[in-house]
Amino acid sequence: MNSFSSIKTLLSCSSLRSSTFLQQVRHKKYPLQPKIQNPIWFAKKERATFDEQLTKENQAFVKEMVYAKYGPPAIIHGVETLDLSRSLLKQEPVVSGEWTPGIRRTGLIARKIGVYPMWMKDGKKVATTLLQVVDNYVIKYISPEEYQASRKAPRRYKNEGKWGCLVVGAECCDPQKFTKEYCGLFKDSGVAPTKILSRFLVSPEAAIQPGTSLSPLHFKVGDHIDVFGISKERGFQGVMKRWGFKGMPATHGVTKTHRRGGNIGQGGNKGRVFPGTKMPGWMGGRRRTLRGCQILRINTKFNVIFVKGQSVPGGQNSVVFLHDTLLPLKWRKTSPEAFPTYFPNLQEGDSLPVDIYHESVHNFSDPSIMYEDEEVKDAKK
Amino acid sequence: MSNLVLFQLRKSTVALSAISKLNKTHIEIQFNFKYLVGQLSQRLQSTSSQVVVRENTKREQKRVVPPNYRHIYPEFLPDPNMEFRNSVREKLERTDMINRRSRIEIPEFYVGSILAVTSSDEHAVGKTTKFVGICIKREFCGLRANFTLRNVVDNLGVEIKYEMYDPRLQRVQVLRLEKRLDSELLYLRDADPEFSTFPFDMDAEFLNEGAPVPVNPLKVNLRPPPWYARWERLQPKGAIIPELRGRRKEKSEKWLEKFSEPWEKYDLMKQYRKTIPEEEQDSIYSDIYSELHQMEIASKKLKRKKAFVKPKKTG
Repeated sequence: MNSFSSIKTLLSCSSLRSSTFLQQVRHKKYPLQPKIQNPIWFAKKERATFDEQLTKENQAFVKEMVYAKYGPPAIIHGVETLDLSRSLLKQEPVVSGEWTPGIRRTGLIARKIGVYPMWMKDGKKVATTLLQVVDNYVIKYISPEEYQASRKAPRRYKNEGKWGCLVVGAECCDPQKFTKEYCGLFKDSGVAPTKILSRFLVSPEAAIQPGTSLSPLHFKVGDHIDVFGISKERGFQGVMKRWGFKGMPATHGVTKTHRRGGNIGQGGNKGRVFPGTKMPGWMGGRRRTLRGCQILRINTKFNVIFVKGQSVPGGQNSVVFLHDTLLPLKWRKTSPEAFPTYFPNLQEGDSLPVDIYHESVHNFSDPSIMYEDEEVKDAKK
Repeated sequence: MSNLVLFQLRKSTVALSAISKLNKTHIEIQFNFKYLVGQLSQRLQSTSSQVVVRENTKREQKRVVPPNYRHIYPEFLPDPNMEFRNSVREKLERTDMINRRSRIEIPEFYVGSILAVTSSDEHAVGKTTKFVGICIKREFCGLRANFTLRNVVDNLGVEIKYEMYDPRLQRVQVLRLEKRLDSELLYLRDADPEFSTFPFDMDAEFLNEGAPVPVNPLKVNLRPPPWYARWERLQPKGAIIPELRGRRKEKSEKWLEKFSEPWEKYDLMKQYRKTIPEEEQDSIYSDIYSELHQMEIASKKLKRKKAFVKPKKTG
């Protein structure tokens, strides 16, 4: 009896409990690949095109109905889309909360349209990547509870149930191209079915009501953003191109192993190839993120964001996604001007400059850069 | 003209007539046909080509942009590789280029012209440097456009690559406007230094307005190898290649026999892929014509002022 009571007292002491009943935890040491979880809006997008045997009049009628419902075709900011101004919401988005550090805003969908050089005011040349924000619309907001119930998150996500989900679409087009169920996703938003659909995890305070259009002025010049997209496909590549291995010498008796990887492990206890070993294989075509790129310039005429750097994943005209950076040293410390997003003021819209430059960037219509002589500088002081 | 091209032309005319019979327009075939005839219209005279030539003259009547703009402002034409094309990016790039050109006059020049470039340099005495040299290379399009100047200073060959739209450039001056026989003069590196030596205090030479740009038929003697490149294979027109001996001579002869492609100049599709079609060139230049033309007028006025010397009183 005495011994039993002593064990009981031991159990009640939490510090001792942890030390006495240590259980071995077995787990994989390499990161898990996320399991494929279909999003809520997952629906078959494209349908097989077949001859519907419509007369010309009927075809014209269908087109007319589409334009009557969503708006006439128009070229907005240099992109062919539908003019949705009639069908969209016109009131300002409802702000459900105030900005505090750590709050996540929505992101944008853009197309990478090229790379060209710009010069800083000190004469340094930088490569900038041009990201065109084509017509972006909020299509759906799903609250954290609802969103969490629909998907089983892997345990490694710490902030379970913290983020809601904002579905954003880009590039409106004729709904006849898509299936009925896909078009049904856009029913409540007043937006024409879009070619591209994406989700952004947002805080419930930064939720935006469906039908709101998003513009590149959601970000400000000088902000740091993360850009992700699908990288270029390179096919099945060797170890030198895929992982940057050095290869083997060209001469000195080396035969048939000039571009091979060499040893991939030893025998003995190990007796196998560790998962994750760098080996030849399919290169590219994976989701990759470029973090912490700075916005140097925003063109409001064509909705183009100029981002410093040239290693944005994907080829020319490929789709990329932008959001506030998650890098701890570069993330937002003060409240953004556009929260939860930028809402265009019609009066302000006329006075917006075509190009907004960062203070460190040289404007091409400014005079040439001249360096001041140090003696002159000293004399001024 | 080879028979092959003639055959192609005849085939396409047949296709076109067949299509016109059906009262349908097929843009692609029509376009290729136009291109073919545009290339050969000067040499061939057939009934079908005359039709298209007449069409061309119609277009020329409408055209405002001078035809020599593609030689004067080649960097406004985008890279013909479809992988890198995007109309919005090209427009933005062009406006940026025009904005820069409104601040600095970038004159007409060619490979072989002699230029003087003044630029700001952080490490130079007085923070500016001037370099005079012969333009041996012009590269790229858009804001990346650049040119390389070469000169021999204190018996040392010096080459500087300048970006055309670099805001550090203060002044670009053409001292002698002329062309050479080649589109690249990199063989000057393997020629005697006298061919690429130019005095820094050289005066600008004036050309009459509207006069064609002279072509300098100068042929340069190359030193014996080792060379920067295998000139015996590239066969530049403006270089006299010394006779090679032994193994190298054999090799070069074999290579020329094996890899020379005399039919390449008749490969119209290859040319088409490497260039921007004329219609597109017109649309590009007509966008920026008014700005460029105004800049030209302003620079001409300045030039006239400089060229005019006040008559002195005599007697």
